[in-house]
Amino acid sequence: MTTTESTERVTSIQDAVTLLARLGERGRALAGGTWTMRGERDAHVHVALGGIAELGVLCRDGDTLRIGALVTHAQLAELPAEPATEALAEAARRSAFPQVRNVATIAGNIAAAGFAEADLVPALLACGARVELASPTGTHAMALHEYLPLRGSRPAGELITHVLVAAPPARRSGFARFTVRASGEYPIVSVAVAAEVDADGFVRSATIAVGSVEPVAKICPVASESLTGQRLTDLDAIEEAGRIAARECSPRDGLDAPAWYRTAIIPTLTRRAGAQAAGKDRS
Amino acid sequence: MKVSFVLNGRSLEVDADGMTPLLTLVRERAGTGAKLGCGEGRCGACTVLVEDQPVASCLYPAVNVDGKRVRSVESLAAPDGPLSAVQDALLACGGVQCGACIPGIAMTLTALLEKESRPSADRVREELTGNLCRCTGYHKIVDAALAASEEPA
Repeated sequence: MTTTESTERVTSIQDAVTLLARLGERGRALAGGTWTMRGERDAHVHVALGGIAELGVLCRDGDTLRIGALVTHAQLAELPAEPATEALAEAARRSAFPQVRNVATIAGNIAAAGFAEADLVPALLACGARVELASPTGTHAMALHEYLPLRGSRPAGELITHVLVAAPPARRSGFARFTVRASGEYPIVSVAVAAEVDADGFVRSATIAVGSVEPVAKICPVASESLTGQRLTDLDAIEEAGRIAARECSPRDGLDAPAWYRTAIIPTLTRRAGAQAAGKDRS
Repeated sequence: MKVSFVLNGRSLEVDADGMTPLLTLVRERAGTGAKLGCGEGRCGACTVLVEDQPVASCLYPAVNVDGKRVRSVESLAAPDGPLSAVQDALLACGGVQCGACIPGIAMTLTALLEKESRPSADRVREELTGNLCRCTGYHKIVDAALAASEEPA
C-alpha cells in the first residue's frame, strides 16, 4: 500500500483540466484503466474521470457522431447499423473480449502511447475523426491524424473530451483485422477503408488507414487517392490500393509477426475491409 | 481514499489507494473466489460482474468501482444452498476440471445468460474468448452453457 494517494476524483471537465494543469508531467487522466493498470503507475497522479457524466454520452448531432471520452468499446460495438460508421463498430466488436470491451474507452484507445495494435484508431482515422480537446483556456478540435504524432508533447492540462465522427449518408466504411487465433488477441495488421461514393457507385474520395504495422496507426495517402474514380465494388482495385498502402508503411518487427509478414498481408486485409465497405461478403 | 461499493448485495467501504486493482479488494480484503491468474487482463480468472457486465478485476482500478454493484462467484449460491443453473451444468457436463478458471467462467456465463436466454454455441464461444481454460479444451464448458440455457429459469 502506498502512503501517497495516487488518484484524484473529479466531477467536471473544468476541475479535471485545472488539476491536470497543476500536476504537470505527473498528472495523467484515468478513464477505464485497462491500459494504465498494466503499465508503470508509481510516478503518476491519476485524475479519475469516471465522475464526469457528460464524458460517457454518445449522441448524434446532425450527420456527426459525438462520442464522449468514456464511451466504451462495448457501446461502440452496438452503434446502429450504418455504412458510414461500420468500420468503427466493426473495430469495436472485433477488439479484445467482453471483460475489456466493457471497460476500455475510446479516449483511452487514442491516448495509449506504445499501443500500436489499438483497434479503434485506424477505423477513426479512415472515418476522418476529430478529437475535441479541453484545457484551462478553452476547447478546440483537431483532426485525429494530426493529433496522434503530437500525443507525447501536448500541454499539461489538455484532455480529450469527445471524439467527433462525421457520418455522411454517402460514406461506406469497413474494417478488417488479422489474428493468429480467432479473437481475443491483438491484430497483426488492421485496415480500415472509408469512401464517399456517388450515386453511380464511383468513389469520390477515400481514406485507407493501417493499424499495428507501424508504432502508430496511420493514413496511407497515396493508396487512398488511388481509389478515387474506382468502383467501391471493384475489389481488385481495392486490393491494388492495399499493395500501394503496403509500400507506404515501414513495418515493425514483433514477437507476433516479423515486419515483412505485416506488409505482405496488408493487401488482403485492405480487400476484406473494402468488401465490408462495399457491402459484399468477404472475399 | 474511501471506496464504497456493493459486493454480492452487501455494502462495503474500504480504504485503499485508488489504483488498487478491484481484484485485491474482492479477493484479499473481502475473501471472494475471484482469482489472480495472469494479472494482465488476458486470462479471465479474475472476472467479476460490475453493474452486471463481466470485467477483468485485475485491471479495474478501485477508484472506478465507487458506487457500483459488484458480483463474484459467491453471489450465485448460498454456502449450503443449491447451486445456480450455470454451476450445476458446469459440474454435470464435466466442465470443471482443475477449477482455476471456473469462478471467472461462471460469472461470464451468468452475465451472458442474463442477457440472452438461448445463445448459440458460437455466441457462447465468442463470449468466452476472455476466459482461458487449460484443462477442458472448452467443449464441456460450451456444453454446460447450452445445457444451462435450456433450464427453466
